[in-house]
Amino acid sequence: MPRVVLLVPTTTYRATDFLRAAHAMQVDVTVASEEPSTLESLAPDALLTIQFADPAAAVRQVVEFSRRHPVDAVVGVDDQVSVVAAEVSRALSLPHNPPQAVAAARNKLLMREALARSNVLSPAHRAARFGDDIDALAGEVRFPCVVKPVDLAGSRGVIRADSPEELVMVIERVGTIVAAATGRAADDQSLVVEDYIDGPEYALEGILTAGELRVLAIFDKPDPLVGPYFEETIYVTPSRLDTEARTAIASATEDAARALGLREGPVHAELRIDGRGAWLIEINPRSIGGLCSRVLRFGTGISLEQLIIAHALGMSIDELEREERPAGVMMIPAPATGTLLEVVGVDEARSIPGIDEVAITARPGQKLVTLPEESNYAGFIFARGDTPREVELALREAFALIRFNVDWR
Amino acid sequence: MTPEEIKIMADPVSAVSCKFTVDRPVSPDRSYYFAHREQAEGSPLATRLFDIDGVGAVLVTHDRVTVTKGDASDWRVIGKEIGAAIRAHIMSGEPAISDDLWQGLPPEDELRERVQEVIEREINPQVAAHGGFISLLDVKENVVYIQMGGGCQGCGMADVTLKQGIEKAIRHAVPQIGEILDATDHASGRNPYYSPSKK
Repeated sequence: MPRVVLLVPTTTYRATDFLRAAHAMQVDVTVASEEPSTLESLAPDALLTIQFADPAAAVRQVVEFSRRHPVDAVVGVDDQVSVVAAEVSRALSLPHNPPQAVAAARNKLLMREALARSNVLSPAHRAARFGDDIDALAGEVRFPCVVKPVDLAGSRGVIRADSPEELVMVIERVGTIVAAATGRAADDQSLVVEDYIDGPEYALEGILTAGELRVLAIFDKPDPLVGPYFEETIYVTPSRLDTEARTAIASATEDAARALGLREGPVHAELRIDGRGAWLIEINPRSIGGLCSRVLRFGTGISLEQLIIAHALGMSIDELEREERPAGVMMIPAPATGTLLEVVGVDEARSIPGIDEVAITARPGQKLVTLPEESNYAGFIFARGDTPREVELALREAFALIRFNVDWR
Repeated sequence: MTPEEIKIMADPVSAVSCKFTVDRPVSPDRSYYFAHREQAEGSPLATRLFDIDGVGAVLVTHDRVTVTKGDASDWRVIGKEIGAAIRAHIMSGEPAISDDLWQGLPPEDELRERVQEVIEREINPQVAAHGGFISLLDVKENVVYIQMGGGCQGCGMADVTLKQGIEKAIRHAVPQIGEILDATDHASGRNPYYSPSKK
């Protein structure tokens, strides 16, 4: 049987779905994580510890492992390990993205610079450091603008500013977030200030084969993302956009992948549409985050993770289409900063017609922190229906029934 | 009954596995996973299926037969052969899983004792390093029910521990074991060792 190595950070939401997919496919699976599994000595072919923080060391470890257990595919389950996955795949001569392309996609400044050199519509940006003269920067940017740390994920530290005065305060706050996230002073760390694009946002899920994009789904994001924080909530597919707009989203995503040099594996892109066209807000060489992939089914029930693993193993996925039935997911952001005491109303939410699953990922006793300081989810709601609107309404109705009691003292 | 009257629906469950659901029981009350041809000896349905080029493994459960490919064979080709083999088996009236194979299963008490020993001697001393423990709830026929506690309950890596560690250790020590099911209420875990924290 072919062997797939899954690179699974211990803090990922994606472990269960990728692992279940690999086992359903009955391929040999090795899970590589940055922390030793307690059972590694009992199953040395199934569990592996590698240094995600040191890609060169990780490459040596997996190459050494592959001498004992030949490896047919390497899959990084989220963007924390996308660079390592590319490096390891390259070392094993497996299809891969150029590591520098993956690194550029993970860095908001490098991504903006690559897109600015291409024909992709991408917000104009300025690069700066937190220690720079912010008053001078404020004189150079257009308002409203959006401040972004270069390498945090999940909208963490992303804040809109509408005036020079706001920009000064926003950069100070984002600097504090970056310092907390990286464990070092922010002064010499980079940030991006980019134009705010006023228009509805969409997401594309796709897979690249030799640079060619196969669109798996386009999602509407019906909640307005106007700031000051950019909390992701509802995704519904198929998109209610017309064919022309969907084509524009697909073209922009494929062009952006090409501009960055991405060629293989899953891509997740966020775009906005205004009167000028489809603007590429972000593209990442990974699948959709959190538990959201559960909203997608292909063929007669194949998961997105199965599809990604099959693609990595070189199997054809051309005939697999997403199910026709509209589907959606709502990410439940952390409701407040504090200690979660209890969650009520989940059974009532599950009883709403169209609701497939309510997965509460926050646990009683857990410390929750809201955006933009942190990027945690309290749970996920999944729905299916006859129309995208029906799906959206079911998600909203279910969400309204769930209450998180948080001790915020 | 003619072979044509037997309705079979084929559902690919992955790129390498396909589930064939039959409109009548194939193996009532017994399920078995045939990992290779040698295990199929004496079990007529599995033998018929392994005779088809490209079949790598076979899982028989009640009215379903799940076939895993061992090579790059085209489902459109071998799917028809698999359907014909299932129909021929049902027409034969033979048991899908050999009585010898089934009766060769140790009694539940013995399986329970052997699984408990693996948990106590090999698994729990290891997972204790993360404040976790595994409890054996029950063994019914050859199905094992376990529960995860302490740092394992609600841990973001609990499935990795289960599928990649616990299952491997139990199957290695007690190969007659069928499914291993986790009955843990992970949502109530108060002190998980790892928590998902990033997108």
